[in-house]
Amino acid sequence: MEILLQLIYSGIALGMIYAVIAFGYQLTFATSDTLNFGQGEALMLGALVGLSLVDTFGMNYWLAIPVVGVFGLFQGALVERVGVRPAIKLKSEFGWIMSTIALGIIFKNVAENIWGRDDLRFPSPLDESPIKLFGANVLPMEILVIGGALLMMVLIEFFNRKTIFGKAVVATFNDREAARLMGINTSVVITFSYALSSMTAAFAGILVAPLTLTGATMGSVLGLKAFAVAIIGGLTSGLGIVVGGILLGVAETTTGFYISTGYKDVPGLVLLLLVLAVRPSGLFGKTAIKKV
Amino acid sequence: MTMRAHSSSWAAVVWVLAVLIPLAIPNPYYIHLVETIMIYSILLFGLDIVVGYTGQVSLGHAGLFGIGAYTAGVMFMKLSASVWFILPTSIAVTAVFGAILALPALRVSGPYLAMVTLAFGTIIQILINEMTFLTEGPLGIKIAKPVLWGEKLTEREFYWLVCVILGLALIFVHRVLRSHLGRAFEALKGSPIASDCMGVSVYRYKVYAFVVSAGLAGLAGSLYAYSEQYISPNTYNFELTVLFLLATIMGGRKTRSGAIIGATIIVMLPKLLDDIELFRWVASTAAVVIAVGAVIGLQKKFTTPKAVIIPVVGTLALAAFSYQLKNMTDWRLSIFGLMILFVVYYLQDGIVGFISKLGHLGEVESTSLRETDSVQASSDVAHPSTALGQNRNHAVSAVSATVPHSIILSAQSVLMQFGGLKAINDVNLVIKRGEIHGLIGPNGSGKSTMMNVLTGIYIPSAGQIEFNGQSVVGRSSSDIALSGIARTFQNVQLFGDMSVLQNVLVGLHHSFESPLWNVALHAPSYLKEEMQANARAHDLLEFVGLDALSNELAHNLPYGKQRLLEIARALALNPQLLLLDEPAAGLTAPDIKELIAYIRKIRDSGVTIILIEHHMDVVMGICDTVSVLDFGQKIAEGKPAEVQANEKVITAYLGGSSTTEKVQ
Repeated sequence: MEILLQLIYSGIALGMIYAVIAFGYQLTFATSDTLNFGQGEALMLGALVGLSLVDTFGMNYWLAIPVVGVFGLFQGALVERVGVRPAIKLKSEFGWIMSTIALGIIFKNVAENIWGRDDLRFPSPLDESPIKLFGANVLPMEILVIGGALLMMVLIEFFNRKTIFGKAVVATFNDREAARLMGINTSVVITFSYALSSMTAAFAGILVAPLTLTGATMGSVLGLKAFAVAIIGGLTSGLGIVVGGILLGVAETTTGFYISTGYKDVPGLVLLLLVLAVRPSGLFGKTAIKKV
Repeated sequence: MTMRAHSSSWAAVVWVLAVLIPLAIPNPYYIHLVETIMIYSILLFGLDIVVGYTGQVSLGHAGLFGIGAYTAGVMFMKLSASVWFILPTSIAVTAVFGAILALPALRVSGPYLAMVTLAFGTIIQILINEMTFLTEGPLGIKIAKPVLWGEKLTEREFYWLVCVILGLALIFVHRVLRSHLGRAFEALKGSPIASDCMGVSVYRYKVYAFVVSAGLAGLAGSLYAYSEQYISPNTYNFELTVLFLLATIMGGRKTRSGAIIGATIIVMLPKLLDDIELFRWVASTAAVVIAVGAVIGLQKKFTTPKAVIIPVVGTLALAAFSYQLKNMTDWRLSIFGLMILFVVYYLQDGIVGFISKLGHLGEVESTSLRETDSVQASSDVAHPSTALGQNRNHAVSAVSATVPHSIILSAQSVLMQFGGLKAINDVNLVIKRGEIHGLIGPNGSGKSTMMNVLTGIYIPSAGQIEFNGQSVVGRSSSDIALSGIARTFQNVQLFGDMSVLQNVLVGLHHSFESPLWNVALHAPSYLKEEMQANARAHDLLEFVGLDALSNELAHNLPYGKQRLLEIARALALNPQLLLLDEPAAGLTAPDIKELIAYIRKIRDSGVTIILIEHHMDVVMGICDTVSVLDFGQKIAEGKPAEVQANEKVITAYLGGSSTTEKVQ
């Protein structure tokens, strides 16, 4: 029982990371109906840049977080400019899927050449001895991940709902063409949503790095599983991705413990296939009506 | 026809050259390289069916390739099965997995499907790694070259076996894609809704495409296992799947030569990158070629400085970069990534598409000349029939009306609700056989929604609809279409990338009964079906006066002709009931006159028609009965003259209640 509870704790922490990445998918999907297939690589870059800041430049972990965030903003904007905008202009769905995949591959390869192919250890900023919570061990870092992820999402939601720029984002989501005609510079909004999206991913990267190993390949499967979360939760539901993330995170840690770590990625991916086969709008999303 | 003969003789020449390679170049390294290109080509033929023809993104083909290879490996290791058994089994097993992969694809497309297939590929790789009792896991499996007629094949003999299989696969794929099956694949990319309404079930043919594609991937996988003689899980990873996609789009979609060029590129490229000197040379050459091309382009003014700046700077930077590096292999993936970006933005039609475009530029004059000739010729032929000729009446032949003026379609208390909006509210509609029934009403009154309900695109929230005494509620669009309801669309839904003739042939899909193997073997029964369908399609095109344009791509037609083509395509279904959704919209006055004649002729041949139209002169001129909708409710029904005089109708159209003006 104690072990199960412990698995649930780390599952929740992992799930919140998925939720943050999935949140990034939602942000860009909302403004442009596109998403970054290299989202996992944005997370990986955040973690590795953070590692360099902390390890090589001796920067304080807490100070490194905003720097990594800014890095994420630029990386996301770059992805949008190079990979997404030309494809939207060409009205080519295939185009942006392939170009964001291509950019993801390039980022991964560049990271391999800079930081090497081996996984690296990220020094933990918090005490590494577990504390007891309801009779089971939980790492302080795990609590930080959960709190940080929630805070991040709440802040961006607040921004979207209360500020004028956020309203432009929401307007673009509702009707891109109408928003453009109302004088909103929708292409800036789309770029910005990509910047925000990569920032959240980079932030998730530096948060999760002390809990796992850091390396060029850490992103790919994470990005895919976060997509599973985005689908399970629905691409439009904020609550959905938190629930979906926790569901998947716990499924993963328990599978890893009770069956085999080799299989830990399977439940999430199978869940993704099942949800898309049965209810493509997700468990929390609304079904769209097709127009003829 | 000449074009086809041309390309098949080219294919034969290339194939013979490939067969001769081992005699000319005895070096086993090169033989193996060409063998790998051929094996990848087989897979790419299949991937192209999914990507090029049905327009779906599959990131799962490396997984399917792995399933094929491991089916062969496991059967060789556990059962010591013979090659005669292993190849078909690999195809079958992988095809089954293709069907599994296609199941989610039924519900989703685009980025969702891309992610689904990516997840599938990842799962397969994990399973191969983890199921050690079957696959030996990371250790991999060793396989010996196959034994044929008691003798183990040498490298060279196996190469020739691959040659033979490649040739067979090429013929198979080519025939299938040229048949009604290939047209169905293309149609569901062009317009899924129109496919369904032509009786070509999008669901069924998506699965079909994935299964055929997976079968080819399985064949390629098993050959790969024999070719490499050792397989391990890490080969079938994300990188390989992206490489396959790169090959497909770079070579050129929807061509077999594109697949072979793509396969050559992805096999040779890593070798090229291993040799830094060679790479420097190639990168510099590419930079020079692109820079020169840009200068020429700018001088001749068919490109802008803005359009060429990125490729020019990009290739120059790549060339400079190549001299900085000592080792290219580490940057292989970045090079692939850059190539994908380049292809996506600058070479969308692939190398083959680019070359054929260049070829066309030179040919423009001659083809346009030929075209006018043929227009002249066939308009001479078509003339008697456009004058409502008698001999062409058989072009439109409905299943002959049983009892005239019996009820063909009845809708009772139909309700169609979207959230709180009742787009159709408690509408009754009775259509009599052999009539032209007008359906009019102001914009947003629910006319098109009614069409969509009748053709199964929407399932009504309540109410009954019976066609020929059978309920259509809840049946799929393609099922309803096959039972005899055809339609056109308010916003034209043609298969734009297909020719005019092919568009009509998709409508004739129901007349084909040949299964896959008959198509592949060109069985007489299939050839007869194809011939009859072609003849019938030409008749239908002649009926609407488009036969001269039958080889033109549908999206090149002017708007009015597109609408006529939609009618011809709908008639190909041999419908008993034809729904025309604003056929006169955007037509000029003389065109409208012609359209009226066509509609009358269709009716005279026994097809019942429901006509939605805003041109009141058309409606009032040809309809036997007119129903008027307003805000989702039927407000009037009767003979055109009665409806025209109806107070409610006048109010609905003109708003005021005191006005006495007539509608039009």
